[in-house]
Amino acid sequence: MENLDAARLQMAFTLIFHIVFACVGMVMPFFMVVAHKKWLNTRNQIYLTLTKSWQKGVAIFFVTGAVSGTALSFELGLLWPEFMKHAGPIIGMPFSLEGAAFFVEAIALGFYLYGWNKIPEKFHWWTGVIVGISGVASGILVVSANGWMNAPSGFDYINGEFLNIDPIKALFNPAWFTQALHMTLAAFTATGFAVAGIHAYQVFKKRNVALHKKAFKIAITFGAIAAILQPISGDLSAKDIAERQPVKLAAMEAHFETSKGAPLYIGGIVNQETQEVTHKIAIPKALSFLAFGDFDAEVKGLNDFPEDEHPNVAIVHYAFQVMIGLGTLLLLAGVLFFITLSRKRTWLNSPKFWLLFIVLAPMGFIALEAGWIVTEVGRQPWIIHNIMKTKDAVTPVPGIVYSFYMYVALYSMLTIAVTWLMARQIKALNNPTSVAV
Amino acid sequence: MIYVVLFFLAFSLVLYVLLAGADFGAGIIELFSSKKNQAITKKTVYRVMGPVWEANHIWIIIMIVILWVAFPVYYNIIVIYLHIPLTLMLLGITLRGVAFVFRHYDAYKDKSQILYDWMFKISSLVTPIFLGITFGAMISGKIIHTTTPIDYSFKILYIDSWLHIFSILTGFFFAALCAFLSAVLLIGEASYGDKKIYVKKATIATIVVVLFGFITILYGYISEIQFVIDFVSNLYAMTIILISAILLIPLWSSIRKGRRVLSRLFAGSQVLLILIAALIPHYPMILFTTDGGISILENIAPDSVIKVLGISLLIGGCVILPGLFHLLKSFKMIKILERH
Repeated sequence: MENLDAARLQMAFTLIFHIVFACVGMVMPFFMVVAHKKWLNTRNQIYLTLTKSWQKGVAIFFVTGAVSGTALSFELGLLWPEFMKHAGPIIGMPFSLEGAAFFVEAIALGFYLYGWNKIPEKFHWWTGVIVGISGVASGILVVSANGWMNAPSGFDYINGEFLNIDPIKALFNPAWFTQALHMTLAAFTATGFAVAGIHAYQVFKKRNVALHKKAFKIAITFGAIAAILQPISGDLSAKDIAERQPVKLAAMEAHFETSKGAPLYIGGIVNQETQEVTHKIAIPKALSFLAFGDFDAEVKGLNDFPEDEHPNVAIVHYAFQVMIGLGTLLLLAGVLFFITLSRKRTWLNSPKFWLLFIVLAPMGFIALEAGWIVTEVGRQPWIIHNIMKTKDAVTPVPGIVYSFYMYVALYSMLTIAVTWLMARQIKALNNPTSVAV
Repeated sequence: MIYVVLFFLAFSLVLYVLLAGADFGAGIIELFSSKKNQAITKKTVYRVMGPVWEANHIWIIIMIVILWVAFPVYYNIIVIYLHIPLTLMLLGITLRGVAFVFRHYDAYKDKSQILYDWMFKISSLVTPIFLGITFGAMISGKIIHTTTPIDYSFKILYIDSWLHIFSILTGFFFAALCAFLSAVLLIGEASYGDKKIYVKKATIATIVVVLFGFITILYGYISEIQFVIDFVSNLYAMTIILISAILLIPLWSSIRKGRRVLSRLFAGSQVLLILIAALIPHYPMILFTTDGGISILENIAPDSVIKVLGISLLIGGCVILPGLFHLLKSFKMIKILERH
C-alpha cells in the first residue's frame, strides 16, 4: 500500500472512531442534566439512578473521546506535516479555543462526577450543564477548522506562500456555520437515537421498564427534534456547496454533464468509466431547485472540471444516498414518536414500537459517518480546497501502513472494550443487588 | 506577544510534567509494589487524582497546539523525524487513559480488573519513557534534517535519530522523576499506617533519579553530545542543579515532620529547577540536529497569528486557571474537612 493511501486510511479510521466517542461525550451530558433536573424537581429515585448511570457513560465516553482526540491532535502533524506547517498557524484559532473549551469541560466534569453530596446542589447541576455546553463548543470549533479546509480563507496565497494571515477570518470561514449547524444537529440525532435504542431494547426485554421508559423518552426527544430540524440545515449546506464546491456537489449527485434543469438521482449504481448511473430514480429538475432554488438553474457537471480534480464519484454518491435515506427515516421515526406521545399513547405498549427504535439505534451514526465521508472524500484530491493537494501534504516517513495496522488493532480493541463496559453498566442497572462496589 | 506565547508553552510544559508526571508516577509505584500495597496505592491514587485526572492530561494538547500554531517549523521537524517515538507515546497515553477509566467505572469488579491494572501499570511506565526519549532525541543532535530524504536509509533517518543510549537514559530519568513526584504526593495523602510505604518509595525514587541523572549526564559528556557539554560548562545550569540537590535536605525534613504542602512544594520546585537547568544553557535553542541547534525564536508564525494566539491564551487562561484552582481547592478542602 502506498504511503498516501495508508495515511488517508489511518486518518479516516481514527476519525470515524473519534466522531462516535466525541458525539456521545458531547450530547449525553444533556440527557444527564435533564434526568438530574427531573430528580431535583420530583425527587423520584428512578431519575437519580438514571442520572448516575448516564454519568458513568459520559465519563467513559469523555475519556475515550479525549484520548482519541489527543491521538488525532498528534496525527494531524504525524501524517500531514506539510499541511500543518502551513495551515497550523492559520487554523490555530479554532484549535486553541477548542483546547480551552475542552479544558473547561474537563474541569466541569471533575466537579460533576465527584461533587455528589459535596458541593451545593444547584451549583453541581450547573457544572453538568457546563460540561454539555463546552462539549458542543469544542465540537463546533473543530468543525470550523474542517470548514476552513473546504473554504480556505483568511490569507493570500501568492507564489506558493501563505501571506497576510488573518486567523479570525479563517475561524469564521464561509463554511463554518453550515457545517457546524449540520454536525451539531447530526450529533444530537445520532446520539439520541442510539441511546434511545439501547433503552428501547431493555423495555422490549421487559427489564426495569419504569426506568428505561423514562430514559428512552429523554433521549428520543432530543434525537427526534434534531432529526426533524436537520433538513433545513441540509438545505443550507447543499446551497452552500453548490456555490463553493461545485465538484463535490456534482460527485454527490453523480452529475457528469453540465445541464440546466438538472434531475435529482435517488439511489443508482455509478459506472465511473462510462459515466452512467443505472437503476436510479430521477426526479426532473429537482437538483437545480435544491442547489439554487430555481428549477431551471444550470448545475455544473464533473466533466467541466479537469479529471485529476475529481473525487471518487461512486463513494461520494453512495455515501450521500445513505445519509439522505437514513436521515429521512429518522425524521419519520421522530414524527412517529411525537404522534405516539400526543395521540396514540397505547402504541407505547406495543412491542413493535420498541422493536422499531431498536432497529433504528445505529442508523443515526451510520448517517453521520456517511455524511463525513461525503464531505471528506468529496474534497479530494485537495487537503486545502484548490490550494494544496493531499498527496503533497503526506509525511515522507515510509511505512505508514504499519502505523495504520496498529491503529486498527488499537481502536478495534477499544470499541470492543467500550461496548462490553456499556453492556455491563446496563446489566448492573437492571440487577442492582449483584453489583459489588 | 511572542513571550506571552512562550510563557504559556513553558507553563503548560511545567504543569504537564508536574501533574501528569505525578500521575504517571503513581502507576510506576503501583508497578513496583507488593500486591497488598498495590491495592492501597490504587485507592489512594484514585482519591487524589480522580477529580483532576482529566485536566492534568490536557496540558499536552495545549502544548501541541501552541507548537503547531506558533512554531510550525519546529513542530514539522519533530513530527517527521520523531514520528515513531511519538506514535509509541500516543499508544501509551491511549491505553493508560482507557485503563484508568475502565478500572474505576466498570460496573462489576471482577477478574477483568487484573487486565486493567496491568494495562495501567505498564503504560504508566512506558509513556513517560517515550516522552523522555523524545526529549532526549530533540537535544542529542542526532536528527538529520534534510530536504532529500531519499538519500538516506529509513534506519538512519527515522530510527537512529531517537534510538540511542543517551535518549533512552533520558527516558528512564524522566520516568524516575515521575515516580519521585508521585511518591512525595502520596505520602501526604496516605493514611497514617500506609505512610511508611511511600516514604520508602520516595527514598528509592530519589536515589534512582539522582543515579539516572548522573549516568545520563556522564554518558552524554563522554559521548560528546554538544548539549551536555554545554550544560556541564554552563555556570547557571550547574548552580540550579546544585540548588535542586540541596533542596533534598529541607524536602526530607518536611516529609519527616509530616508537612505535606511544604514537601510537595519542595519536590515540585526541584523538578521545576531541573527543567529550567535543562533549558537555559541553550535557550532559545531546544532542538538540535546534526547541523546544530535550531532556535525556537526563529521561523515563528507571522505576527498576526502570534497576536491572536497570545490574546486567546490570555483569555483562556483567565477562564481556566481560576476554574482549575477552584477544582483543586474544593476537593482538597473537602478532604481536610472529612479528616477532622
